[in-house]
Amino acid sequence: MYIPITIDHIARVEGKGGIEIVTSDEGIKEVKLNIIEGPRFFEAITLGKKLEEALAVYPRICSFCSAAHKLTAVEAAEKAVGFTPRLEIQDLRDLLYIGDMIESHALHLYLLVLPDYLGYSNPLAMVDKYRKEIECAMALKNIGSKIMDYLASRAIHQENAILGGFGKLPTRGQFEELKKELKETLPMAEYTVELFSKFEQYEEVKDKEMIHMAVKPRNGVYGIFGDYIKVSDGFEFPVEDYKKHIVEKVVGHSFAKHSFYNNEKHFMVGAISRIVNNADLLYGKAKELYNQYKDLLRYDNCFANNFAQALELVYFVERAIDIIDDTLAKWPIKERDEVEIKDGFGVSITEAPRGLVAYALEVKDGKVNYADIITPTAMNLAIMERHVRMMAEKHWQDDPETLKLLTEMTVRAYDPCISCSVHVIKL
Amino acid sequence: MSEKVRVGFYALTSCYGCQLQMAMMDEILHLLDKVGIECWFMVERNSEEDREVDIAFIEGSVSTQEEIELVKKIREKAKIVIAVGSCAIHGGVQSWDKDKEFNELWKTVYGDAHVKFEPKMAEPVEKYIKVDYKLYGCPPEKKDFLYALGTLLIGSWPEDIDYPVCVECRLRGNPCILIEKGEPCLGPITTAGCDARCPSYGIPCIGCRGAVKDVAWFDSLALEFKRKGLTKEEILERVKIFNAYNPKLEEMVNKIFKEGE
Repeated sequence: MYIPITIDHIARVEGKGGIEIVTSDEGIKEVKLNIIEGPRFFEAITLGKKLEEALAVYPRICSFCSAAHKLTAVEAAEKAVGFTPRLEIQDLRDLLYIGDMIESHALHLYLLVLPDYLGYSNPLAMVDKYRKEIECAMALKNIGSKIMDYLASRAIHQENAILGGFGKLPTRGQFEELKKELKETLPMAEYTVELFSKFEQYEEVKDKEMIHMAVKPRNGVYGIFGDYIKVSDGFEFPVEDYKKHIVEKVVGHSFAKHSFYNNEKHFMVGAISRIVNNADLLYGKAKELYNQYKDLLRYDNCFANNFAQALELVYFVERAIDIIDDTLAKWPIKERDEVEIKDGFGVSITEAPRGLVAYALEVKDGKVNYADIITPTAMNLAIMERHVRMMAEKHWQDDPETLKLLTEMTVRAYDPCISCSVHVIKL
Repeated sequence: MSEKVRVGFYALTSCYGCQLQMAMMDEILHLLDKVGIECWFMVERNSEEDREVDIAFIEGSVSTQEEIELVKKIREKAKIVIAVGSCAIHGGVQSWDKDKEFNELWKTVYGDAHVKFEPKMAEPVEKYIKVDYKLYGCPPEKKDFLYALGTLLIGSWPEDIDYPVCVECRLRGNPCILIEKGEPCLGPITTAGCDARCPSYGIPCIGCRGAVKDVAWFDSLALEFKRKGLTKEEILERVKIFNAYNPKLEEMVNKIFKEGE
């Protein structure tokens, strides 16, 4: 007799999800990722609402990547009304987004992932024995938050990033303070790379068929914003065509949909997907580390996503310093341009910390007339389920605690944002 | 106090920003020898919802049948229940369109698909259980958490906030966004505690901390908005983002529009 193994509530991820594994004499019968949060209908509730008010509500989809949601929605809205921000404003949005990236990666790696590798059930318990790690986590998290505090008023649900720019910009002194602290944080980012280079990437989930999707960066350096999507099979498409290539299907066991590339293939998005597609655009210390650790940045193993995030911490700390230098060279900068709200349709896809996030908005008479949002975790769910199954197939006869831990670790490697994925998709 | 205070942090349907805010506090490390985490899935793998606790923090709106059972269970096992953030206190932004048919919203997002859970319209926690204290905000400020934890840990009781954002905005010496710039700022009706963050950035308050208890004068704000050319629908829509369940809102705004014309 086989009792299904269930994890009702996966710990140390953002949101509420579970894993259900059903076995028989022959092995695994079924593996399901259950998403058990309620629906929030963001697309439906913003229909017919004023554009500015809808833009204040969208970031509330997710706290770990609220800046990502905010800036992607704002860019889609600006495209819809036919407005292009000045380069300086674009750079500062990049900087704000990087703050989100650094904070989110630091929290994911140290708070959510590291305890598994060090044998703890929670990160706070590590404080006596692993003081250096906790200090790195705090410092990286704090500089990410501080960038968001200064540029956008706070680290969660920022109102200061708006159509046309910002309500108010930091002072020159604040930029200089950020730069100084970023420089101090760089060694901790490098330590994170060293630390995570030692951790196992489980062969059980090795998957030669893996396809990765990432934004093709607009300005030619590794980054966040772009107008085309690159696929690791060599295909490229403009963001406006996303509906043709990313198809979503409802599955009965969750409020989140599963996504498929060209209607049939599973695909992955996230830090490792960015590295797979855009490693040639890295520079500085991150490029050196990439060359040194190339073998760990595997396209065929989702656990490489953890290490890719560590590498990105180094990259984005350095990149943030460069953006601040550019900004100070152009100082003073006007914080905002007037945006005339015209009718139109716009699509923006950017690189949230955990992968692509897509916004399509139609504006009519100053109101949202159509909204479609696809979140990174929704894109990753199908392939995540496949890899959890692969892990379960190798370990279903082991003791349940081992099976539970290894399947949970597989889920955590994707850095899922479950409340993000419970959403919002229009059919 | 030799025994540790047992704490649980539970999530209903939300963005997880409230517990992220708490998890991000550097001060949390100083609490470790005083507080034992019985249930906090975001940081502790060894978490159980069935354990007894001294303080239960609940974030999120009640959005499924399963969550109704969960809040009842938490109430039974907890000495003090704290509703944390806009979703738990006011139903959150997901209740913005609460007066629309639930099935209509479902269809817009999920089409004809069915799932095995029982979803429902988002509601505040207080609809189902008694709440002892509230931490306002979307998300609450770190100092809100510190104040509540600090006072409770020394055996005292935190005070509720009963004055609006305008008080803090005046103290900061900001120019008034509503009067001087004519923008639809919700500072006059919104619970203070954020130190008037958004108005200090030149951004009109969107009301994320919810209407201030008992003294939210929706009617006088509506009158001011009406003078600036906003329609009744526009006013209701803006205030409802974070106050869809406020029992006095519509009645007070209606009064202004009846009297005027």
